[in-house]
Amino acid sequence: MTDAASGAVDRSVQVKLVLLGEAAVGKSSLVLRFVNNEFQPNKEPTIGAAFLTQKCRLEDRVLRYEIWDTAGQERFHSLAPMYYRNAQAAVVVYDVTKASSLEKAKSWVKELQRQANPNIVIALAGNKIDLVQSSSSPSTAAPASDSEDEADDATATPGETPGSAGEPESLRQVPREEAQAYATEAGLLFFETSAKTGQGIIEVFTEIAKKIPIEHILASTRGAGRNGAQVSRPGASRQEGNVNLEENQTKGRDGCNC
Amino acid sequence: MSLSDNNHPPFKPREYFVLTDAGKPVFTSRREDGDSDTLSCTMGLVQALLSVFIDDGDKLRSINSGELRITFLLRSPLYYVCASTWGEPESVTRTHLEYLHLQILSIVTAAQLRRIFERRTNFDLRRLLNGAEPFLFSLLSRLELDLAMSTSSLHCLQLDPNLRSRVADALVPITKMKDTLYIILIAGGRVVTLVRPRKHSIHPADIHVLVNTAHAPSIYNSPASASWIPVCLPKYDPATFVNAYISFLWKPEDNGIETSSNAESRGSSSSSRREDGRHPPNLSSDAAICLMCIGGGGEFETVRSWCDSVAQKLQSQGTLKVITDAMESGKTHYSVSQLAIPGLRHFVYKSRPDVQITFPTFEDPYDSRDEVRRIITMYQTVYDALHAKSGQSGPLKLQCIRTNKEIVMGWITQPFELYIVLSPRLPKTAVINAANAVTRWVKKEERNLLLRDAPVF
Repeated sequence: MTDAASGAVDRSVQVKLVLLGEAAVGKSSLVLRFVNNEFQPNKEPTIGAAFLTQKCRLEDRVLRYEIWDTAGQERFHSLAPMYYRNAQAAVVVYDVTKASSLEKAKSWVKELQRQANPNIVIALAGNKIDLVQSSSSPSTAAPASDSEDEADDATATPGETPGSAGEPESLRQVPREEAQAYATEAGLLFFETSAKTGQGIIEVFTEIAKKIPIEHILASTRGAGRNGAQVSRPGASRQEGNVNLEENQTKGRDGCNC
Repeated sequence: MSLSDNNHPPFKPREYFVLTDAGKPVFTSRREDGDSDTLSCTMGLVQALLSVFIDDGDKLRSINSGELRITFLLRSPLYYVCASTWGEPESVTRTHLEYLHLQILSIVTAAQLRRIFERRTNFDLRRLLNGAEPFLFSLLSRLELDLAMSTSSLHCLQLDPNLRSRVADALVPITKMKDTLYIILIAGGRVVTLVRPRKHSIHPADIHVLVNTAHAPSIYNSPASASWIPVCLPKYDPATFVNAYISFLWKPEDNGIETSSNAESRGSSSSSRREDGRHPPNLSSDAAICLMCIGGGGEFETVRSWCDSVAQKLQSQGTLKVITDAMESGKTHYSVSQLAIPGLRHFVYKSRPDVQITFPTFEDPYDSRDEVRRIITMYQTVYDALHAKSGQSGPLKLQCIRTNKEIVMGWITQPFELYIVLSPRLPKTAVINAANAVTRWVKKEERNLLLRDAPVF
């Protein structure tokens, strides 16, 4: 929900964007590349969610992305509705060197399509492609895997074991075609990215910007002085990591955002 | 007692273990210990030991072997263990274990723990705590030197009372923010002021857990302008999460570089930012200014825009600048020499009604890390005796320990507790006079030293 107060601060169109995906796929790194054009190896895991903003120029419009970068750990899963419930865009991230992370991404997409704003623009991003690209400098692959990996999941990135520097393609567990086909079928934007090198990152956000129904947002912003759309929680039995959101749960969807 | 030895052995890092009552490892303070076999063995042994006693309807509290004491704390479904050779009273390591427990509860809640282990007794809790280890590491390094934690009180930032109330006025929430619990401004790792609802106050342990959480590397180092995290305040309500909005309004520029010389003497070790090393030097994260808004409501957009406006207000009023200037020029600390009391080297004064402490910086001869550790352990020894924390027959009003190096005296009255360290040559009357002089000085300065009259809503 765009609050009236923050909406008045500047003329740009505010776009709420949420990042979702398994732990250690590089969500925070992806945002950090977009927002600060930086890369931090060995980033600490995100706890809860982190809020960042970045402006993005698109033709004659300025979009102001308000980004919720969420934690990938399972215990935070039940918090996700809080972040995506009024989001106009979502970037669902997986790690191209970890097949299971795509499965997790698919389940996020499913959840978004079921529960989020029906107009939400979803992009699927396969991150860490620097690990699977042959590079002219021979020793980059193995150490790179270390640095790109957020230290937040001890079991993440099975391909991380060094020694395969000679043939980086072998680290890839998710073929580009497979992910692309899935994205097309599910109606998602699709990118392969590297937060480490910056490859593909800007494209994610500019393509989302092109697809966002800006007029729609402007219209709904004007109307949304109150509470925004509420989404009932997925599965009432899921209690773990539960923040006391009783108030939100009991309200139905009032749909003023769409 | 070993503390009175002229040459105290070096302070070996204490070791901590957390396991489930099924013997599954949850946490170990041994970072470099990649050998999970050794760890499983240790956990198995601990579990066996504990269960022998539990079978007899008994509780194993501690094992002493020479210098080493192993303390156990049972908080079903978790067992906590600390091994220490520091010679501190048992209650000290027990308090550490209690804090570890509270920090874990802040991440998973007591209700959640109970539910999980009712369903599956052999659940691997590490799965749920994944990514939360840094909170536990930074807590442990805090516990080592934090006098406020060891006296279960609060150590507020020393500040001009008018400035403090100006900050407090800015922090009073708008009515639109439903279910707001606490709004806290923290500077230099210490509370500047705290705004709370009229109906309840905040337990110091909850504040320590919050401060530790906010300054842990995952939050402090985040490039984000704000973090929004679920946190359980175990003393407030161990069964539910509240939301914490955490925003750093100011961070020292020398990121990652050790802060000025008085960093150590503040007595609160900062969080372990670095991955390596069990006891990192004091880092600058605790020198930052942090705004926290704790509440049960999920309306983070409301909270965020309000916190933004608070930040802007503090900025435009110049309040933030005054605080950072005060911190950088050392005005938020004082030296024991300001009291001009002969033979007085250090003291800790606790105002009992305010549940707050104040103490000067640690200076010569207590200016090395090990000397600070030693003197803190002395304080803890006297504190333990006065409060009969380790099974003594009853509490005391006054205790005085004389070593070759110093005299340490503890004294409890209705309004305050005082612990003072003096030159060992001082006669008894001078000790008493010094204690009275300290209390008079604190009385005179208390408006700067203690947080009083913070607004409620």
